[in-house]
Amino acid sequence: MAGGGELGGGGRPKRGKHSKRKAKKRVGFRIDMTPLVDITFLLLTFFMFVTTLTTPQIMDMAVPPETEDVEVAESKLFTIRVRGDGKIFYNQAKDAPQPIVLKDLRNQSIKSNLDLKNELITVLKIDDNVNYETVVNILDELNLAEIKITQALQAEKLNRERKFTIAPLTDKDKEEIIGL
Amino acid sequence: MPKVKMKRTGFVIDMTPLVDITFLLLTFFMFTAKFKSDADNEQKFQIKRPKSAADTSKLPEKDVAVIKIALDSTKAADTAYYYSVSNPELWNLVKEDPSLSEWLTPARKEVSKSQIKTIKVDELEALVKATRTQSKAFNAMKKSKAEQASLKFAVDADRRVRFKWIADVMEVMRRSRQTQFNFVTDKEQ
Repeated sequence: MAGGGELGGGGRPKRGKHSKRKAKKRVGFRIDMTPLVDITFLLLTFFMFVTTLTTPQIMDMAVPPETEDVEVAESKLFTIRVRGDGKIFYNQAKDAPQPIVLKDLRNQSIKSNLDLKNELITVLKIDDNVNYETVVNILDELNLAEIKITQALQAEKLNRERKFTIAPLTDKDKEEIIGL
Repeated sequence: MPKVKMKRTGFVIDMTPLVDITFLLLTFFMFTAKFKSDADNEQKFQIKRPKSAADTSKLPEKDVAVIKIALDSTKAADTAYYYSVSNPELWNLVKEDPSLSEWLTPARKEVSKSQIKTIKVDELEALVKATRTQSKAFNAMKKSKAEQASLKFAVDADRRVRFKWIADVMEVMRRSRQTQFNFVTDKEQ
């Protein structure tokens, strides 16, 4: 006799009167697990989505330490000014400020940086009334430009040294971009 | 004797291994899922973070001091700073810092258990400075190097706030000699 069939077997002897009938084999028992699996998958997907969506990320930022002003050559400055209405202007060295849209800023930053390699200093000057969102968008574009610049410099066996600062937008700056 | 005709009632797949793995994953995600903390329940505002390109650096869960700048729901133009430290022990030390006793009255401590609301920049500066000194003392108390951790500072601001608020925080950071800090953003979808 096969061994698997003894699970739940009663005290009744198998032989005798009913020996002609084939004895019912009980191989354990099965539970239909489909509803269980359904619910478990539902919960699993729920938790998976919840955990991935609520992790905020961080953007590195640095402010210059409180020391005396450092003299820099104006020719190495790449200035980005943001007016109160959110319009962006850029100029390099002593050039007149030119308006630029956000999506062009990345390419402009790459181009200007690669011209001067590691010498260029990016200065970001932002009006107090600009939305924080605009500021983050600009910083994001500059960060994305940084990837390309680093790659390009690495191809020339140079290490990237980023020179970037946020400076206050002075009245003189405002005058320069007011009519544009 | 003729063969007994077998009745086919569909077929059954053994789902046990599937259930095993699914439960394993489910418990994992359930334990790692973060739900609203007390601080989130206490605050009556929601920060709509600005979006930025995907980055690998995530906001740490501990050893971080967060300066929240949120829009007040009642008046759209009005906002305030909300200061908190993720580490409860350190947070208690910061609140007891003698340099804050002038304006951080017991009554005010009572209403601000997990975060301190302020609109004054000099109060924020005092908080940042107190956190920095207390953090150093807190680390010095730890026996092993592994337990010590450097505190990060993060600015978690609503995307609609004026840059003035951010500029003020940056000035506070500069004066507190905390030259490195972070902006909290959401991943661009």
